[in-house]
Formats: sequence, structure tokens, C-alpha cells
Amino acid sequence: MRASIVAALAVLAIYAGLIVSLFWFFDGALFTRTLLSERSFFSIRLSLMAATVATAIALLLAIPAAYALSRYRFPGKEAAETVLEFPIIVSPAALGAIILIFFNNPLGEWLQEHLFHFVFGFAGIVLAQFITVLGLAVRMLKAAFDEVPRELETVARTLGASPRHAFFTVTLPLAKNGLVAAFILTWAKALGEFGATLMVAGSMAMRTETLPIAIFMRLSSADIEGTVALILILVALGLSALFVARWLLSRSVHA
Amino acid sequence: MLEIEGLGAQAGTFRLADIALSIAAGECHAVLGPSGSGKSTLLAAVLGTLPVTTGCIRLAGADITKLPTERRQLGYVPQQLGLFPHLSVIDNLRYGARARRVPEAEYRPLLDRLVEVTGIDTLLDRRTATLSGGERQRVALVRALVANPRLVLLDEPFTALNESLRRELWWLVKALQKERGLTVMIVTHDLAEAHFLADHITVLIDGRQEQSGDRATVYRRPASEAVARFLGLKNLFAARRLDAHGVDCPALGGRLPVGGDDPSGAELLVAIRPEHVALRQAGDPPRAGETRLSGRFEAAIDLGEAALLHFRTDGGTLLEARCGSRILRKFGYRAGMPGMVGLPAQDIFCLRKGA
Repeated sequence: MRASIVAALAVLAIYAGLIVSLFWFFDGALFTRTLLSERSFFSIRLSLMAATVATAIALLLAIPAAYALSRYRFPGKEAAETVLEFPIIVSPAALGAIILIFFNNPLGEWLQEHLFHFVFGFAGIVLAQFITVLGLAVRMLKAAFDEVPRELETVARTLGASPRHAFFTVTLPLAKNGLVAAFILTWAKALGEFGATLMVAGSMAMRTETLPIAIFMRLSSADIEGTVALILILVALGLSALFVARWLLSRSVHA
Repeated sequence: MLEIEGLGAQAGTFRLADIALSIAAGECHAVLGPSGSGKSTLLAAVLGTLPVTTGCIRLAGADITKLPTERRQLGYVPQQLGLFPHLSVIDNLRYGARARRVPEAEYRPLLDRLVEVTGIDTLLDRRTATLSGGERQRVALVRALVANPRLVLLDEPFTALNESLRRELWWLVKALQKERGLTVMIVTHDLAEAHFLADHITVLIDGRQEQSGDRATVYRRPASEAVARFLGLKNLFAARRLDAHGVDCPALGGRLPVGGDDPSGAELLVAIRPEHVALRQAGDPPRAGETRLSGRFEAAIDLGEAALLHFRTDGGTLLEARCGSRILRKFGYRAGMPGMVGLPAQDIFCLRKGA
């Protein structure tokens, strides 16, 4: 037992140690300057916007999809569940490359001409993040719906509620905390997305420079202190999202 | 009120076939069976949550086989009760009326009456998570009844409760049934519950309907070996039909006077309920039609209200007998004591062999 507790604390120590080690290169004045610079502002704003839009679109598709996976049997269900892991097993860079290749086939070119210009633009960032987080969103939402006993919907329906009414008055309120937690974690994952974004949108200062891209660019130009400042901003955003999500999830279990 | 004809349904690999039963208005019908017998599948078919593969379900004369659940006008109390944890008790009770947009003035008198009868008037503003087991059952019952359903479906709703609470709720259901003239279908594996509440019983085993009839018949004359074993009948012995008036049962000493119309030579099972095994004393005069067997008691257990005895005949057959506790104490039956039992002809019956 004692050894296992030591192992658990070691996990904490590894991640905490890495974060703390950033402060070796921490320069308070530079941090403030970096934080307040126009370029950082741009990165933060672009990251927050892209992650929010990508998460919102992902959830629009993921909520009904997750509900179907949680409640119904249908042809293709197993395949649909398996493919949710696709973004996890394929490296983000490969995922981005796949998207890029798609836009070079006739359908992709048609979409680019008539719908949105994805490659090397804001839409590309959103798309890369959307593709990366969609599977995760569906899996988390499915878990949230699985927590709501199906029987409650059956009871609601015997009482005269249509399936839609039962969903909005019983399932959704009871899955609420799980759904919000899924939104936050999906958003945090989108915020930190790098590989696919780099492939699809490239790394152009003040254009496709999300926070992770900015970190990559600063590091490439050997600006360690600037890199550290940006990392700390990203870590702060991500960790606060994680804590809020954990808090909500623990509330949904004990509700 | 409810008629089920030739019903078949499939849930995963489980198949329910050829179910036929009818429940008259105001009657309580128990669907009895071990777990995995198809009770829940049948219930799901009546609820409309599982598509029916064959046959039809009619409620008050109308075919509801393909009607969506919300239009069947059912009251349903599932095993876990299905109370909505995010709503207060009163909002649980109002849920159906609100979903169907029934004005409060229409449903309120019935709701108030049910709340009064079940004694939950002090709980209305509480969250369901704060209620005790018995309170939760009452709320679930009232919620199912507020909409004035044509049929009330109870899915083992009392299994998780202690004995005294269970009995209290049985009385409550009986009282509600009488007052409101409810038609009830209760699914249970509990024989006592079925007997207390139901007028008629249908026994399901392995997805098949083994027997359906009034409760006394099902209890006294199980239709098959499977039903008899499910009802806990241990006194089952192989026999062969000799003629219309008797069977040959080697385990019980040869010819027994049991009537029946099965062909002579037919392989049967002879059965007798433990409470019908009469405990006799050495000097008791013989009784007409009663087969006497002597032997020795192997066990005598006082269960409180009743006593259970194991009696080994001189021929080596083990019989289970049941008598009142006072009888046990009066005659001092105990393991190792020699004795005699009588098997009255009218209480011995034959069953078809096999599942």
C-alpha cells in the first residue's frame, strides 16, 4: 500500500516539478511585458476564440451522437464507438496532415472554394481543433448520459412525456454537470492543440499564432523567457479548466 | 382491460414467445417467474420500450402494440422507482400533468386525494433523495396514479424493503386498488407478494408462459414440473399412469389413487404439497383414500409461524412436510424420531414431466 501511495505522489511530483522548473527562467518584468504585448494578446484572443468555436461546434454534433451511443442499438454503433479513439491513436501531426491532404482532393478543393477557406486561416485552426477534440467530446458526453438511468426516461414517457420532452426535462438536467465538465475539458484540449493546427493553419505570426504555436515560435527563436511566460499563461488557463471540471464532476456523482 | 395475444419479443439473445394473457378491469394480475424468465421483457413490450415481433397487445379494446409509450396511458413503478432526483416530491407528482399540459384544476383533486390516502402530505416540498425507503415507494405509487392510468404496471417495487414495510405497502396497494378500481399488472419473483396482491397469476419460465390461471389453481395445481419446482415444491416423484384412477409410484410404495386422463403407461410426476402431508400417530384409524407411509423424521425446524419437517420413509424416500409450530411442539417431533405420514388422495396430483 505504502509503495503505491509513493507512486501516486511521484506522478504528482513529476508534473509539479516540471511546472515549478519553469520558474528557473522566470523573469517577472519580462512576464508582464510579454503578457501585455500586442502579439501575446492576439495569441490569447485567437486561442480562446478558436477553442470556444471548435468546442461549440463539436458539442452540437457530439451531444446527439453521444446520446444515441448511450441509448440505442443501431448498425454501425460499434464502428462509431471505435472511431472515437482515432484522434488519440493517430498523432496530431498525422491528423493535421490527413486534413491537409483532404483539402487537396477535388471535394476538399470545392469546399475551400465555395464554403470556407480552411488552410492557413482561422477556419483551419477551428477545423483542426474540432477534428482533434470531437472523439473526446463524444466519449465524455456518452459517459455523462450513461450516468442517467434509462428507466427515468421510461417513467417520464409513461407519464405522458414525448421522447424530446423527457430528454429536455429529465436526461439533460441530470447529465448537466457531466455535460459542462465535458465542455470544459474539450475546450481545454482544444486550447492546447498544436500538431494538427500547425499542419492545417501553419505558424504565421499575428495570423494563425495560437498560444501553443506562439510557444513553438518563441522557442524556435531561442526566446526562453518569452516561451516560459506563454507556457505559464497556457498552464494557468488549462489547470483552472481542469479544476472546474473536476469540481463539477464530483458534484454530479454526489448529486 | 388488457389482452395479450400470441406475443413474441426479442431482447438481445433472449426470446419471449407465445404469451397470451388477459387482465379484467379492476383485477390484479401477477407475472411470476425466476430472474431471466422474461418478466422484464414482457413488461418492456407492454410499456412499449421494446418492439413486439409477433402478436398484439390490446388495452381497453384498442390495439396499442405499436403505440408509443407516452400514448398508452400506463402507470409505471419500476424496481428502482424512477423518482426524478432533480425535482421535489410535488414536482415529481406533477410531472405527468405538466408534460401533457393538463390544467392544475383538473388533476389537483385526485392528486390531493392520493397524497392524503398514502400519507405523504408532509413530504411534498422535499427532495426525493431525502426520503426513506417506504416514503419513496409511496411517492412513486402516487405519481403513477395521478394521471388516472388505464393499467398500472409494478415491477418488483417492494423487493428492497424490509418485511414489515413490504406488508404495509401491500395493504396500501390493495386499498388503493379497491378505492380506485385499478387494473394492475405486477411483475415479481416473490410468491407471497403475488399471492397477497394478485387475483390471477401467470408463470413465466425461460421465456415461455408455463401457466396462467387464478392464484389458487396455480398454487395448488402447478401445470408443469418447472412451475412446481419454481414454486418450491420438493415432493415430486416419478410415476407411470396405470388407468384412469391410479398411478404406479415406486417411491411412495406402489399404486396411488390419482385420477387423470393421460394415456396409460404415460410417464408422469406425482406431487403433494408439504402442508398436505398429514402427520399421523400410530393409533390413528385409517382414512379412506389415504396412503400411509411409516418412517423416521430426519429434521424438524421450527420457523416461528410454521414448522418444516423432513421425513424419510421406510422405502428410503424423502418427503417434506409442513405443520403449525404448535403441532410440532405438541407431538415433540425431532430428528431421529420414528413416525407415520398420510397422503390424502385428494391432495395428490400429477404433472407432466420435464421442463
